[in-house]
Amino acid sequence: MKRDPLAGRIPIVLITGFLGSGKTTLLGKLLRHPGMDRAAVIINELGDVGIDHQLVSTSSEQMTLLGNGCLCCTVRTDLQETLREMFIKRRAGDVIDFDRVFVETTGLADPVPVLHSFQSDGLLGAQYRLDGVVTVVDAVNGMGQLDSMPEAVKQAAVADRIVLSKTDLASSEVIGKIQSRTKALNPYASLAHAIQGEIDPALLANLSPGTAKALPSELNRWLGEGNAYLGKALRGNHDAAIRTFSLRFEQPFTWDSLNAALQTLTALRGPDLLRVKGIVNVEGEAGPVILQAAQHVVHPPVTLESWRDADRSTRIVFIVRNIEKETVQALFSAVGALTSS
Amino acid sequence: MREFLPEPYPYAMAKALSFNMRLLAHHELQGFGGIGEGMALQQTSGGRRILWLAHEAAPKNFTGVDVTDPRAPRVVVQTDLPHAKMRSNSLDVTGDVMAVAYQTSQVGLKPAGFDLFDVKDPERPKLISHFDASGPYSRGAHQVWFVDGQFVHMSSGAEDFQPRHPEDDQIYRIVDVRNPAKPVDAGRWWMPGTREGDKEPAPARLDPKIATGYRVHNTNVFPERPDRAYIGYIDGGAFILDISDKSHPKALGAWNHSPPFNGFTHTVLPLFGRDLLIVSDECVRDDGVDWPRLVWVVDGRNERNPVPISTFPAPPVEAFIKRGGRFGAHNLHENQPVPTSFRSEQIIVGTFFNAGVRAYDIANPYQPQEIAYYVPEAPKLARSGAIQLNDVYVDEKRIVYTVDRHAGGLYILEMTV
Repeated sequence: MKRDPLAGRIPIVLITGFLGSGKTTLLGKLLRHPGMDRAAVIINELGDVGIDHQLVSTSSEQMTLLGNGCLCCTVRTDLQETLREMFIKRRAGDVIDFDRVFVETTGLADPVPVLHSFQSDGLLGAQYRLDGVVTVVDAVNGMGQLDSMPEAVKQAAVADRIVLSKTDLASSEVIGKIQSRTKALNPYASLAHAIQGEIDPALLANLSPGTAKALPSELNRWLGEGNAYLGKALRGNHDAAIRTFSLRFEQPFTWDSLNAALQTLTALRGPDLLRVKGIVNVEGEAGPVILQAAQHVVHPPVTLESWRDADRSTRIVFIVRNIEKETVQALFSAVGALTSS
Repeated sequence: MREFLPEPYPYAMAKALSFNMRLLAHHELQGFGGIGEGMALQQTSGGRRILWLAHEAAPKNFTGVDVTDPRAPRVVVQTDLPHAKMRSNSLDVTGDVMAVAYQTSQVGLKPAGFDLFDVKDPERPKLISHFDASGPYSRGAHQVWFVDGQFVHMSSGAEDFQPRHPEDDQIYRIVDVRNPAKPVDAGRWWMPGTREGDKEPAPARLDPKIATGYRVHNTNVFPERPDRAYIGYIDGGAFILDISDKSHPKALGAWNHSPPFNGFTHTVLPLFGRDLLIVSDECVRDDGVDWPRLVWVVDGRNERNPVPISTFPAPPVEAFIKRGGRFGAHNLHENQPVPTSFRSEQIIVGTFFNAGVRAYDIANPYQPQEIAYYVPEAPKLARSGAIQLNDVYVDEKRIVYTVDRHAGGLYILEMTV
């Protein structure tokens, strides 16, 4: 008997959102839920004086100021070290057996390099897995931030879940507009509303498959397939540089063809691959292969136990900058044709 | 960057520690929660599952627990020993026959050896026979391995075995129980030089601070290689024996980490599909006196030259070494070749006394990874102030049964890796 490649790793949820969007309020409320009594939180903030932590209600005295600056840059390694240290303390019984971790980034952080570092740090992968990205978008100011701040666009684009905050302070017209905007930007993310940080904690957990026995419904939810139809109907995406699209391939890949396609894509356009996630049908594998990548790093693929429904097509969601859907499709087709000959 | 961790607490044993193991049930075994290193899971003809446990010390002999519903374990029988200067410590079950070891606290006492019981009706175990291994230099049997219904392989003294050193009294013995009513001595082997009259010189003793003796602990024989016995020989290290002729076992290969390590090789678990041996030590001193006691991964491709290639990552030493009682390796789940046993050549589960029960992934044998653990809180009346998990059995559904050496009884866990 072997180990489940996904189960048994502590899920990490990355919470992003622009400055003042309500991430800390959300976390503060979240941690009061009974099901969250074993959650650990890492907060990254910009500048010398932190005020956010005073808003997070916690009985903990375990608080370490590790550094200042943006999580996406030099502090990234601090995040990795913090996660390692937290696990060491957990094993020693110095802290409670936390069963999930929320990482709150600074408002200015680009979440992509953080995703990248989770996927490239093999040591971290022994104990943790990235569950997903939750992006908080302020219903009142969000539109302006998306218009003027490229990082805000990126945060929304890579999200698995978008939480619209402050919907009690915005008119229904404004809420409608920002919903359309985020849907156009990232049709694969599901949308939730939070007022004063109140949200069903289930919406911030189980974002991605947590076991090799994952059901098709879980995979579909992860890929956001239930949400995508709305996105296609939308027009007028202001954020032209960032594109989100999904490709479907009916023919199974071989490991060679999949590797070749991914290597070509990451080598040529790595910096513009904000996030890639999908399930792939690879010849000879018993179940779908989970694929995740950020920038030029592809996470070691994980094979699920079995196909549990009739649809065995490959489905990959791409969140990219300045790359056309057709270009990626053509690349995969060409590589597939070359490697099969 | 700051981290917020919920509710810190010192390693004061106020709470259990867990990672990928969930407690399903805890049973104190009617106030007799000190269990040795005998655990076997019987599947009865009526569809029940009975976990048999050998007690670590008198007055109790063995306990049967109905674990058909692992969330609701129920004691169905608990038996007494004939006197207090003995213990059972070890047992094994094949089909409906159970072998129970008897070890006395001094040489020359009886009963010493093992009993065979018919446990078809678990509530009423029926004695089938007794195998006598008592003698003027014998304390009887410390451990029995009985998985094929035909032979009991054990660590035991013998009436006619006189060791040169009193600590070297338990040798490898094979007993033919094909007729369970009449067990017959079938073979034996001991480390050359340990018997009075051997022509070989006596082995040098280890440092007296940690020396425990040259005697046999576990004696594993599997159907994949019925001609091999894998022997933990305490201070003598690990031995691979050729037992194709049971009446004349021969040593093929040996490996001993001591000195410079601290002796007490306990279990030698072969992984046939991977040509590996997993070798566990046993910690036998409190408060880290004999640290480190480890679990070793040994390359067994050439059985004449076993080569160690890694050790399991130890539990955090600073956190546990002074926590109370013993801290270090002990029993492994032994991939028992029976239908109720978890069998894996990748996931190895072991007990570490006050550091609980732990599971390791050896997909890469050069770099074992810890993937799960459970450290129960200190049992009520724990004499060392900490849990002392002694033995573990994992069933085919990945349910982990583990027992405390002194007071805590049985812990049933679900492993979620």
